[in-house]
Amino acid sequence: MDKQLEKLISLHDLDVMIADLDRKDIRKREIEMGLHKNGALEELKELRKEYCKSINRKWRGLYNQLTRHYGNAVVPALMGRCAGCLTRLPTAVCSDPERNFKIHTCPTCGRIIYWAD
Amino acid sequence: MKYTVLCEFELSATSRTEAIVEMLSLFPVGDKSRRLLATALDVREKVGATVVHDSIALPHCRSILVDKLTIVVGRSHAGISWPEERVNTVIMFVSPVKPNSPQEHTKFLGHIAGKIRKSGDKIVAAGNQDELLTLLGFQLEEQGE
Repeated sequence: MDKQLEKLISLHDLDVMIADLDRKDIRKREIEMGLHKNGALEELKELRKEYCKSINRKWRGLYNQLTRHYGNAVVPALMGRCAGCLTRLPTAVCSDPERNFKIHTCPTCGRIIYWAD
Repeated sequence: MKYTVLCEFELSATSRTEAIVEMLSLFPVGDKSRRLLATALDVREKVGATVVHDSIALPHCRSILVDKLTIVVGRSHAGISWPEERVNTVIMFVSPVKPNSPQEHTKFLGHIAGKIRKSGDKIVAAGNQDELLTLLGFQLEEQGE
């Protein structure tokens, strides 16, 4: 898998983690269970800042732009379609065994696509 | 809620990192996805260990790398260094990232919290895999509703 694509997927999961810790219902449940730690959100945000530095500026810019616009910048391809907007992806790309070794974007919505291994 | 449950009753791992890797090896995903999930779970642990009820750990995260809630229950008789505390039961779960998944994630956390509150000691002392899964309200490879 393309290293930058791996980093973008990890960044997406990190953003989900940050958003979850910021959600009242999840935070309340985690506090009840003793899983919540004060300062965890700030630590994750700091970690995100550091992590972003390892991502190519071009892809980081696209990721941030897509996140602002759609809320999710990276989506899986499902049955040859973009899971974000359901557009059918080019057959040549979907059938390429090396498809994850390059970053592909949806031709319609522009989201970053990966294929589950 | 749809989910898959897998179980490893005799974990050989002795550390948190090893336990996460060993349990992720049961996940129905490829090696690359496993590695990325291990990173996400490790990040979550680093900002706050997920140990509850003395010796139960709940490593968890939400990820775009799974398409439904996937749970792995693990048990170690020797104990696992987590690393501040020693745990013998690990309930690892990864929820998908979908529009309604935060609610499902919260619902599942509630389910686990209820089971641990009600039968925490019995969960820790469960003598076999079936007993452990029954106490947690799971069935192997169950496709829940």
